[in-house]
Amino acid sequence: MINVVQTVETFAKQNGVTDIDTLVLQIGELSSVIPRFAEACYPAAVDGTMLENTKLEIEILPGNCICDNCKNVFNLIEHKGECPSCGSEDWELLCGREFLIKEIVAC
Amino acid sequence: MKSFKVLEIKESVFKDNNRQANLLREELKKRKTFLLNLMSSPGSGKTTTVLRTIEALKSDVNIGVMEADIDSDVDSHAVAKTGTKVIQLHTGGMCHLDADMTKQGLLGLGTDDIDFIILENVGNLVCPAEFDTGASKNAMILSVPEGDDKPLKYPLMFSKVDVLLINKIDTMDYFDFDLQAVKERAKKLNPNIKIIPISAKTGEGIDEWANWLLAEIKKWQE
Repeated sequence: MINVVQTVETFAKQNGVTDIDTLVLQIGELSSVIPRFAEACYPAAVDGTMLENTKLEIEILPGNCICDNCKNVFNLIEHKGECPSCGSEDWELLCGREFLIKEIVAC
Repeated sequence: MKSFKVLEIKESVFKDNNRQANLLREELKKRKTFLLNLMSSPGSGKTTTVLRTIEALKSDVNIGVMEADIDSDVDSHAVAKTGTKVIQLHTGGMCHLDADMTKQGLLGLGTDDIDFIILENVGNLVCPAEFDTGASKNAMILSVPEGDDKPLKYPLMFSKVDVLLINKIDTMDYFDFDLQAVKERAKKLNPNIKIIPISAKTGEGIDEWANWLLAEIKKWQE
């Protein structure tokens, strides 16, 4: 989280931003970052920084994959790694491991 | 009233670490120093495996060891007894090493005249898989008592490593451990993974592991 705050501060300085209202992160549901914990440590990470009064918003990205066999796109967790249309267990991951700083609402 | 607007950043939080890791790898390549990142859960036999590896390779290459732990220096003492250059890194509560910490460790250890450095990462199958340390190759240890279901539980680790060492195979008779199932599960996640069953206690399989390392170190130094 401290890395996130540093990246945002650098970005803000480079872009002449002085007041950040909201920080939006994107976390994939297959990444090892747990949104609840990210939220819990956020106040400590922003303490004494430009982001001290910035709200945190987290968007969850689904862990989707495409079936190697029938090309159906499905959610990996919901279907436990098995294609709901043909039953194949061979697939390629499309998204879900991200940990991204999406955007800031600022002026 | 202030007019707020949305500014897109779209930057991966891992990007900075990946950039540093790539720089470190290039630097090591120039210096002809091969860095192995060794990962596993606590108690899988990492330190014993490191000691065996030193014994097998010390006449062929100059070895250095970096022991990363949250606290204590028991591991580095065990390695120092072999006469190998060793440094203990404390992550101060962090559950993994990142590229910057690895770089600090390398500076502390000194890479002059060293061909081969083993980085014994923090015992953990989750976070170390996410952070590129800048290593030339990555290896992990799964020990028999941990169970054959670990590739299913920690898929990212198994999908990222070049080598999987299956340790403590001398205890196979006492545990319900299906070696074939582990091999299949790991290959499914990572078709190129090299799997070597070993016993760091009896020395079984260490030759194959040492030969793989020697070949990779040679390739790295070309």
